[in-house]
Amino acid sequence: MGEFASLIHNENIKIFRRLRTWIMLVLLALMSALFPALIHFTTNGSNVVGLWDSFRTTVTIAFFLNTIFTALVAADSVAGEFTWGTIKLLLIRPWSRSKILLSKYISLVIFSLVSTGVLILFGYGSAFIFSSGAAGISGDMVMGWGQGEYVFMLILCSYIELFLTAAIAFMISSVFRSSGLAIVLSLSIMFTKDIFIAIFNPDRYEWANYLIFAHMNLSNYVVSDTGPGGATLGFAIAVLAVYYVVFMAVSWIVFRKRDVAA
Amino acid sequence: MPNTAEVVKPVASLMGVTKRIGSKTLISDLTLDIPPGQIFGFLGPNGAGKTTTIRMMVGLISISRGDILICGRSIKDHFEEAIANVGAIVENPEMYKFLTGYQNLRQYARMVPGVTKERINEVVELVGLSQRINDRVKTYSLGMRQRLGVAQALLHRPKLLILDEPTNGLDPQGIRELRDYLRKLCQTEGTTVFVSSHLLSEMELMCDSVAIIQNGRLIDVKQLKTVGDAAVPVSQTFFEVDNPEAALAQIGQGVIMEGGLAVDAVREEIAELNAKLVAAGIKVYSIKAMSRSLEDQFLEITGGEGIG
Ligand SMILES: Nc1ncnc2c1ncn2[C@@H]1O[C@H](COP(=O)(O)OP(=O)(O)OP(=O)(O)O)[C@@H](O)[C@H]1O
Ligand SMILES: [Mg+2]
Repeated sequence: MGEFASLIHNENIKIFRRLRTWIMLVLLALMSALFPALIHFTTNGSNVVGLWDSFRTTVTIAFFLNTIFTALVAADSVAGEFTWGTIKLLLIRPWSRSKILLSKYISLVIFSLVSTGVLILFGYGSAFIFSSGAAGISGDMVMGWGQGEYVFMLILCSYIELFLTAAIAFMISSVFRSSGLAIVLSLSIMFTKDIFIAIFNPDRYEWANYLIFAHMNLSNYVVSDTGPGGATLGFAIAVLAVYYVVFMAVSWIVFRKRDVAA
Repeated sequence: MPNTAEVVKPVASLMGVTKRIGSKTLISDLTLDIPPGQIFGFLGPNGAGKTTTIRMMVGLISISRGDILICGRSIKDHFEEAIANVGAIVENPEMYKFLTGYQNLRQYARMVPGVTKERINEVVELVGLSQRINDRVKTYSLGMRQRLGVAQALLHRPKLLILDEPTNGLDPQGIRELRDYLRKLCQTEGTTVFVSSHLLSEMELMCDSVAIIQNGRLIDVKQLKTVGDAAVPVSQTFFEVDNPEAALAQIGQGVIMEGGLAVDAVREEIAELNAKLVAAGIKVYSIKAMSRSLEDQFLEITGGEGIG
């Protein structure tokens, strides 16, 4: 019954043919390009910021925006079809609901990779132009990592956080069919997780170790062997994996079963 | 209702279909066969359950009890095979507004094998959208979206075309065109069309048969004898009797009305039926010929009761 790739193609069109998507990507590119310039012009000559330091700062900030934009796309993925009413036409094709949802999820991941690519490209390019190749103040190595490696690890950790936030938004979009709710809930988790960890400190409360909040930011492990509550990297990844599987399972079960009476 | 439909295999059969949401029964025990090569009307007042039934037929909502077969395949158990034979509009045809009409059609073309660019153009031509097909759907009027909706339903040459109130939003010319190409589709490609409406006069002009539904129950299935394009009004005879129920039991067909029974019958049959009633001890006070449009009948059958 046709090619699964064409389902993904359809979903990509729905993302990339929207003006909104291009506004988001342009904003992301501008922001990534702007920060190294700002850093360059706000530091005086004696205190030069190196290429990798400049890029690292940019990555940290721009990933906030990247995560918000990806959550927006995830939130619209299923809920948008309900809002537009197009779900009725989408689900009466010779494809199972599972495969339709899978194509939506894959296209979401593709978007997140594209936007992250834009961030890296523009961030690094701008940092390269505005740092004049100076080594900077933080030296050559960070905790045994080369500078480039270190930034790469930070990008990886930030992407994992984005990936999980998007999974939460996608699940809420599929379960409640409301993009507003999906955006608000997924982003509030992202913004309040540090407060949450401060209140329910995993050092004091054993059960807090099993909350997703404590582990979404893996960047601690790049410079240290243990994270919040003395958890190991393996433990943190295991907790995240379990949450991820649950998010996906809930999305699929609900999407397959529920009546569509939009 | 014995008729020829039992000889040929129905394109769709609804078998004891029931839909319950919470404690509310929206459709109860609906059994209906849709014979091939017909334009089959599905008539009912607002809230009768037409859209609910159509949603079950295309697998958008679950069936609480019973089953629906499309070309012999269960929509519950073999969804993909069953739905491959169906093209449909459910309520208003909603499209991706940020895409053009053509891009919308490409979306659906990609989801089934074998829909060529030529086929897309052919369908666009058929529904009369060639002029505007490359405009974004957000600039379309309701009638234009309705036409695009019909186009997406036709793309893959479905055996069964299900249209939920397709005339909604169409101008008289559009309605006329729709009627004409549905008829053409039916005759040249053998497509079976299942079309819901509460526009009764429309149904008379368009359909070969109609099923009438009210409050989630099937009330009647009628053959409309068509001559050319225009339906001849069904001729009925009204027997004013003392006991309509007993008369119905005797005759085996007809609709109970105030003080009597309305029966489909031709001239010769009237005398025979009268003899039958009298022989059964039923008092016949008067016999009146009624020539009524389907609309009158429909209002009579469903009228008096409010929406609910
Ligand atoms: N999700 C739902 N929950 C509860 N009741 C519902 C739901 N959807 C529809 N109904 C009820 O089911 C009945 C049938 O609705 P349906 O939309 O099938 O009617 P319809 O025949 O298509 O009417 P119309 O001609 O107005 O389009 C109505 O009484 C409606 O209120
Ligand atoms: Mg309806």
